[in-house]
Amino acid sequence: MTGISNDSAWINIQETPLSLEEVLEFLRVEEAGGIDIFLGTTRRWTEAEEKTTGEETDRRETILLEYECYKPMALKEMHRLVEESLARWPVRRACLLHRIGEVPLREISVIAGVAAPHRADAFAACRYLIDTLKIRVPIWKKEHFVDGNARWVEGDSAPEPLSSPDTM
Amino acid sequence: MGDTKPQGVQVLLFSVIRERAGVDATTLYLDPGEAVSAGVLLERLATTYPSIRPMLPLVRIAVNQEYVPKKHMVQAGDEVALITPVSGG
Repeated sequence: MTGISNDSAWINIQETPLSLEEVLEFLRVEEAGGIDIFLGTTRRWTEAEEKTTGEETDRRETILLEYECYKPMALKEMHRLVEESLARWPVRRACLLHRIGEVPLREISVIAGVAAPHRADAFAACRYLIDTLKIRVPIWKKEHFVDGNARWVEGDSAPEPLSSPDTM
Repeated sequence: MGDTKPQGVQVLLFSVIRERAGVDATTLYLDPGEAVSAGVLLERLATTYPSIRPMLPLVRIAVNQEYVPKKHMVQAGDEVALITPVSGG
């Protein structure tokens, strides 16, 4: 296991493929009755924002995704998210792993995993991890299309600082 | 004491704003003892790299790897990052 890890948390950013087996091994603990794992994968077809009348032109074909990050801050924010999930829910173990660089079709770009005594908490904590990663962690995605075009995806983010609002 | 060399603030650029500026990092110099708000720093940066100006309303600022409001005061030695809306996952 690489990245930041301890008895209950595992965070990593890597250029190599993510291993679901390693994640399962980390999450399967005796205190857990429910394990929830979210996988983000590279999707081939994306609906265009502006629908046109033609049948062929209202979606675009992706060939691969490329991810870039501000690594020290991204790791710090991911670590904070995992610690927040451990504090808010009765979660025994949680992990958040992201792949950067080029991620081909069908491959996994992100894994959020949670082990909890009961499934409701596992679902809630896992959803919190992936939903909050998408607005807070400084990682960016560039879509490369089959037609040779590429564009940076502009994600959702609040205009004001999000992390540690209590310290602002 | 007596140090009158310009003091540098390291600025990091990523994704669309990095491509527009054509650099992934630059240094802005402050006068000795000078502190400016992160918002003012952005304005100075946009003077050097006008192509990033349309992006500025979307940018969040991180100083030393923590998000800060635009009124946050930046000093020499700080690491400032321009964070356009993130799209990980």
